[in-house]
Amino acid sequence: MPLLQTREVTVRFGGVRALDSVSLSADAGVVTGLIGPNGAGKTTLFNVVTGLQAPTSGHVLIDGANVTGYPVHRRARLGIARTFQRLELFGSLTVRENIQTAAEIHQLGSRRRSDVGALTDSILDRVGLDRYAGAAAHTLPTGLARLTELGRALATEPRLLLLDEPGSGLNSAESEQFARLLASLAAEGTAILLVEHDMDLVMQACETIHVLDFGLLVTSGTPDEVRADARVQLAYLGQSDTVSTQAGS
Amino acid sequence: MGEFIGLSIAGLSLGAIYAIAASGLVVTYTTSGVFNFAHGAVGMLMAFLYWQLRVQDHWSAPAALVLTLLVAAPALGLVLERGLISRLNVNDTGTMLIVTVAVMVALMGIAYVIWPPSIGRLLPMFFGPNGHVSVDGELVSYEELISIGLAIATALGLRLFFHNTRTGVAMRGVVDDRQLMAMNGRSPQVLNALSWMIGAGFGALAGILTASTYSLDVINLTLLILNAFAAAMLGRLRNLPLTFVGAVVLGLADAYVTGYVRLTGWLVELVPVLPTLFLFIVLLALPAVRLRAGRAAVSKAIHVPSAGASLRNGVVLVVVAALIAPFMHGIALGNVNEGAALGIGALSIVLLSGYGGQLSFAQYAFFGFGAWLFRVLGHGGNPWALLVAAGAGALIGALMALPALRLRGLELALSTLAFGTLAWYMFLSQPQIIGGGDVTIPRLHLPGLSLQNDRVNLVFLAVVFALLSAGVLAIRRSRFGRILVATRDSDTACATLGLNLRLTKVALFALASAIATFGGAIYGSTQMIVTNTDFEYVSSLFIVLIVYVWGISTPGGALAGGMSLALAPLVEVHIPVRFQALTYFMTGLGALTILATPEGIVPLVSERLRRLNPLIGLRSRHTRDMSVGNEQLLARVEVSRATPADA
Repeated sequence: MPLLQTREVTVRFGGVRALDSVSLSADAGVVTGLIGPNGAGKTTLFNVVTGLQAPTSGHVLIDGANVTGYPVHRRARLGIARTFQRLELFGSLTVRENIQTAAEIHQLGSRRRSDVGALTDSILDRVGLDRYAGAAAHTLPTGLARLTELGRALATEPRLLLLDEPGSGLNSAESEQFARLLASLAAEGTAILLVEHDMDLVMQACETIHVLDFGLLVTSGTPDEVRADARVQLAYLGQSDTVSTQAGS
Repeated sequence: MGEFIGLSIAGLSLGAIYAIAASGLVVTYTTSGVFNFAHGAVGMLMAFLYWQLRVQDHWSAPAALVLTLLVAAPALGLVLERGLISRLNVNDTGTMLIVTVAVMVALMGIAYVIWPPSIGRLLPMFFGPNGHVSVDGELVSYEELISIGLAIATALGLRLFFHNTRTGVAMRGVVDDRQLMAMNGRSPQVLNALSWMIGAGFGALAGILTASTYSLDVINLTLLILNAFAAAMLGRLRNLPLTFVGAVVLGLADAYVTGYVRLTGWLVELVPVLPTLFLFIVLLALPAVRLRAGRAAVSKAIHVPSAGASLRNGVVLVVVAALIAPFMHGIALGNVNEGAALGIGALSIVLLSGYGGQLSFAQYAFFGFGAWLFRVLGHGGNPWALLVAAGAGALIGALMALPALRLRGLELALSTLAFGTLAWYMFLSQPQIIGGGDVTIPRLHLPGLSLQNDRVNLVFLAVVFALLSAGVLAIRRSRFGRILVATRDSDTACATLGLNLRLTKVALFALASAIATFGGAIYGSTQMIVTNTDFEYVSSLFIVLIVYVWGISTPGGALAGGMSLALAPLVEVHIPVRFQALTYFMTGLGALTILATPEGIVPLVSERLRRLNPLIGLRSRHTRDMSVGNEQLLARVEVSRATPADA
């Protein structure tokens, strides 16, 4: 059974359908891509899965159980963690404190008591932020800030990780390093849903890709299938010029 | 029947004034995203200007109206928006609210100095004392009918403006998507400025109508903002038709309760708190606000002293108090004692607003509650009463926060002001609680200490402040403290990490209210004689404003804030009566230092001192690098990114 399933999720903002009956899934141990042009509804879907946005209709299932009515923090305790396209860092805390506080919040909700300090250090090391541990988060350049958000999400030891454009702000070496990190997280059994404009990163990291356009699920499949799909080329890859400009900005 | 019609028209006319005032508030908020706390004060100033032109300078009513409503008020709105508001981050609700409170205080100062309250002023009715019609034997003044007519005109005019003009449609959209509006060729800056000009115009109209129907009074007109806010909350500060409904309900309730209900006992003061009660019912009925991403406030890191450093600072404070106490006497000694007691209570603001990012404008209600509890329970100065006060304060604080937790920071802050208003009228002002006359409170009694002596008491207060500061700083360094700061920076992120925000906020309000109530008990015990005016709800605005200016995130800011409030009268006695209100103006103006140093004066000075002193500087360089982000650090980050080999 997939770890995450959305069943016919629809979100309407006034007359606009941000999501139109979207059903997709993400499996444990797999990096699943979610791509589409700007305004396709990717972030809205993340908001629906994490509980920040109530769907107009449809359901969100975790391990097959309906969690649509659950508040945000309760879903997090089921093992959902995310990063944000528009950064939501704890700006006045240091990088280390950002991750430590996330681990501490996670501990509040569970009976297990692990060593927060050791966990924080291992995450700093893993995402490659150990050298910036003492820097105040609001001073970070975008790439490092996104890594800090990732580290913060990892501190909750998630089973489902939603990453909203984590690659923007990374240079190509960092981007490759990032792809390896995603692969190692997936190898540990984490389900990863990746929203990303950097097509190289998506094609390299993802096993399955869902394509959204104007709130509709256009297609789902392997990178090769998606690349070959005419509808995708029309909706998205056909505008590869604009895509690469956006990814580069 | 005649009485009913008369009351209904009176109620409708009051509701009409509320509706006009609230419309201005809503127009400004919807477009610029800023709740203008000074909205009532703008109307107040314009009403006084109108009086000046009409009565003193003998202008005709139409000329005076044109100048105030169409020239002076929009100009004031424009100056405020361009000069202040546009320089602030719209997502930083706290600073934004505080800046408009500062403007409110400054405008009150201007009015007091130009139009001293010692002279009574009356605005003539538009059509003279005989300007009324008779309805079923009841006299209905033209004033009332004019208000109703103007409110209807306002409703129709705004409806047409927002739906049938391109500028109006753009103004509705600007808050939701600024970039989109910019692309459509409508500059958000221009629309924001326009919304402040229109808002000020409606504020002025409401002010003049209030002044000519009721009275020309600085405080009453300034606090018209509270009633307007209550009405606007029905439409969540955005919906004009619902705002009008709210205003009419408020106006009619006021008239019918005044006319039909004989208020006795503790209900005597029911009428002034009707808007507050209405607000609470509305708040309970409103659906919970949902968390939004992309609104994280940018806040700077502030140096948090270690346990050792905070104890050292505490010892220094106590030594200083012990050194100056023997040389102090009389009024000054009393005021410094008062300032220290207020500083203790103000530590609650550091915890609540400085760390937790929540604003509360009900601190004086808790001060009063604490003082009353110590009066009732502290027989012979029993110190256990202090702890009971803290516990009871925690309970009341949690109860106050519970219904309001579903709201945004702004709505929560404003509803605490409503709570403070309610507590003052319905509780603290009751004769059996504190009331309008002097009541005595015992001085705290500790075995072996003669606290009856004000000099000893001062040193004792310094000890209490030092210990409580160390406690507050220990909370800041704890897990709970980090979580508080995290919720301040991004509550959305906290929720997605698994934090129960409501529980956290209840705990925060409970803890802060415990400190405030404890501080109130200390205050009562220090003052020994209090009246309800010592705890007036408006004072809560002042103390938050002043602590904000000195430094909301440091205990030093709390102490400086308490001292400023208590010592101001010592300065005022040296100023000619005519210009005493300049302290209002200077406070408001001084508060605008927030624009330059949002962290406050105390952190700025202590950071400077650390840099000046090479010894201290050396010792704290390490921690500074850890916490204070600056250009150098960024540059270093960039350099080390470029040379990964050096790791």
